Amino acid sequence: MELRNYLIAIKAIIKKDAKIFFRYPANAVFRIVEPILWITPVYFLSKAFQINGENIGFSQYSGTTDYMAFLVIGSIVSSFVSAVMWGMGFSLKNEMDVGVIESNWLTPIPLWVQLIGRSIFSLIMTTVNALTVAFLVWLMFGFNIAGGILMAIVTLLPMLIALYGLGFGIASLVLITNNANNIIDITNFCLSMMSGESFPITVLPRVLIPISLALPITYGYDAIRGILLNTKTLLPIPVEQGILVLFMIIGIFVGYRILKWVEKYCRTKGNIAFH
Amino acid sequence: MTSYAIEVKNLRKEFEIKKRNGFFKRNKKKEVFIAVDDISFQVKKGEIFGFLGPNGAGKTTTIKMISTLLRPTSGTAIINGINCVERPMEVLKILGTVLTGERSIYWKLTGRENLEYFAAMNGITGRKAQVKIDYLLTRFNLDKRADETVEKYSTGMKQRVALAKALIADPEILILDEPTSGLDPQSTLNLRELILEIKEEGRTILLTTHYMEEADQLSDRIAIIDHGKIIAMDTPCNLKKGLNKTNIIVLELKDWNSSTEERIKGIPMVENITSRFDDIAQRWEVKIHMVNGNDSINDLITNIISTNNKIINFRVEEPTLEDVFISLTGKSLRE
Ligand SMILES: Nc1ncnc2c1ncn2[C@@H]1O[C@H](COP(=O)(O)OP(=O)(O)OP(=O)(O)O)[C@@H](O)[C@H]1O
Ligand SMILES: [Mg+2]
Repeated sequence: MELRNYLIAIKAIIKKDAKIFFRYPANAVFRIVEPILWITPVYFLSKAFQINGENIGFSQYSGTTDYMAFLVIGSIVSSFVSAVMWGMGFSLKNEMDVGVIESNWLTPIPLWVQLIGRSIFSLIMTTVNALTVAFLVWLMFGFNIAGGILMAIVTLLPMLIALYGLGFGIASLVLITNNANNIIDITNFCLSMMSGESFPITVLPRVLIPISLALPITYGYDAIRGILLNTKTLLPIPVEQGILVLFMIIGIFVGYRILKWVEKYCRTKGNIAFH
Repeated sequence: MTSYAIEVKNLRKEFEIKKRNGFFKRNKKKEVFIAVDDISFQVKKGEIFGFLGPNGAGKTTTIKMISTLLRPTSGTAIINGINCVERPMEVLKILGTVLTGERSIYWKLTGRENLEYFAAMNGITGRKAQVKIDYLLTRFNLDKRADETVEKYSTGMKQRVALAKALIADPEILILDEPTSGLDPQSTLNLRELILEIKEEGRTILLTTHYMEEADQLSDRIAIIDHGKIIAMDTPCNLKKGLNKTNIIVLELKDWNSSTEERIKGIPMVENITSRFDDIAQRWEVKIHMVNGNDSINDLITNIISTNNKIINFRVEEPTLEDVFISLTGKSLRE
C-alpha cells in the first residue's frame, strides 16, 4: 500500500518537473548547445597534434587513436556526473528558493522518495542531452565505437546510482550549511581532473595517480572506454565493474545517512523556509 | 480514542543563534532564543481554535511543530492520539496545512496542475482525483482560470489554491497560518466565509492570526500568545467579559507626546494607554483603559485641555480582543 503511494508520488514528481522544465525553453536549448561549444576547440587542438590523421602520442597512452570518441565518451559521462552534483543539490535549493519545499515536506511522502522522483527526471534529461550531443558530434566530426553499448550502459548504471546517492547527500549538506557554489564547483573540477574525463589518467603526474585510482569514477570512465573503444584498461573490465557495484552500495548507504542527518538538522534549525 | 483533535503539552522550541564577532572570530557561546515557551493547550474535535498574538509571538513556530516541519526542543504534540515526532507520516495524512506566503504552490504550474500534483502526493489519482479537483476549483471560484499558470493569479486566488491544496486529501484537521494576511478586504471576507463553511463540514481548524476581529469572528476558543507563552485562553466572549470592569475610552487628538502620556498615567483608575498616529486623518488615536469606574473622566479631559491640545473626537467603546491583549500586556497587538 505504501509502495503504491510512493510510486504514484514519483510519477507525479516526474510529470511536474517535466512540465516546469519545458515552460523554460531557454533551459533546454542551452543544455544542448553548451557541451558542443566546449568540445569544439579541444577537437581542433587534437587535430593539430595529429600525424596522418592519427594521434600517435595519444594512442601510446590510451590504446586508441580516436581522441574524438575518447573525448565524447568522457564528456557524456561527465555530464552525468555534474548533473548529479548540480542538479541534485540544487533540487532542494531550488525548492527552497521557489518556496514550495515546505509544501512538499507536508505531504506524507518521505524525503528520500521525493528525491528519487526528482533524480529520475534529471536523469532522463541528462540522457536525452547526452544522446543528442553524441549524435550531433557524430554528424559533425564522425567517430567509431567498437560496439557494446548495452554493456556500457550496464556498467554506467551502478556508478550513476552511487553518484546520485552520494550527490544528494553531499550536495544537500553543502547547500544547507550554506555556501554551495564554490564547493560543488571545486569538487566537480577536481573530479573531472582526477578521474580522467578528457585524458587517460596515466598522463597525470605520478603523485596524483594514487588519488585518481582511489576515485571510483575513474574506473567508470576507464571501463566504458574499454568497452566502447577497446582501450587498454587499468584493471580487467569485470574487476572495474565490481568496483562500481561496490561503490553503488556504499554510495546509497552513505547518501541515505547524510540525507537523514540533513533532514533532522533542518527540522531542528527551521532553516528551510528562510532562504 | 481521545476527544481531542490536537493535544499540546509543554511544547517548547529554542533556536540557537550564532553571533559573529568580526570576520573570523566566532563567539563560542551560542545564544538560545526561546520562540515557544512550554505551552499546553487542547483543541476539541470540530472547533475552530484561534491563536492570536503579535508578530514574533511564536504562532508559526507552534504550528510548524504540530505539522512536523519543526522538531520541538521538548514537550509533545499529539494529533488524534498520534505523536508528531514519532509518527510524522501518519500525522501528515490527517492534517491539511496552509502556511503563510503565497509561494507555497508552484507558480509555473496551473491551478489545476498544482492540485493534481498534490493529490497524487497524497495517493489520490485518476477519476477520483479529477472529481475532487473539479469540485474544489468550482467551490473556491477558481474554475474559470484553472488552466492558467498560478503566476498570473491574484494573491487571493493563490491563497485559495493553497487552501484547496490543503483540503485535497480530505483532512480531519486543518491548520491555517495567517490565512488572510496580505489579502484585500473583499478577499478577506470571502476567505473567512469559506473557513466557516469548512468548519461546518465537521473539520477541526487551528488558525493563527494577528487580526483580533478575525480571531473573534471565527474562533470558538482563543489562545492569546505573546513572547512564546499563552497568556490567556477562553472563548472570545469570556475573554471580553473579563474586562467588564474596564471602560474603554478613545480620544482623537491633534497632538500627543510622552509627557502628556506620563501625566495621564498618573490619573487614578487609568490602567493602560496605547496610541497610534492615523496617517490618513492626520491625527492621534489614543485608547485609555479605566478600571472600576468613570470617575476620572473629568480629570482626564482637564489634563488634556490644559496642554493646549485639541480633542477632535471622544467615544466610549465596547471591549474587543485587542483590549484584552492590551490589558494583559500593556501594549497593542500591532506594535
Ligand atoms: N529558524 C529560526 N531560527 C531562529 N529564530 C527563529 C526561527 N524561526 C523563528 N524564529 C524566531 O522566533 C520568534 C517567533 O517566530 P514565529 O514565526 O513563530 O512568530 P509568529 O508569531 O508566527 O509571528 P508573525 O506574526 O511575524 O508570523 C521570532 O522572533 C523569530 O525571529
Ligand atoms: Mg507567523
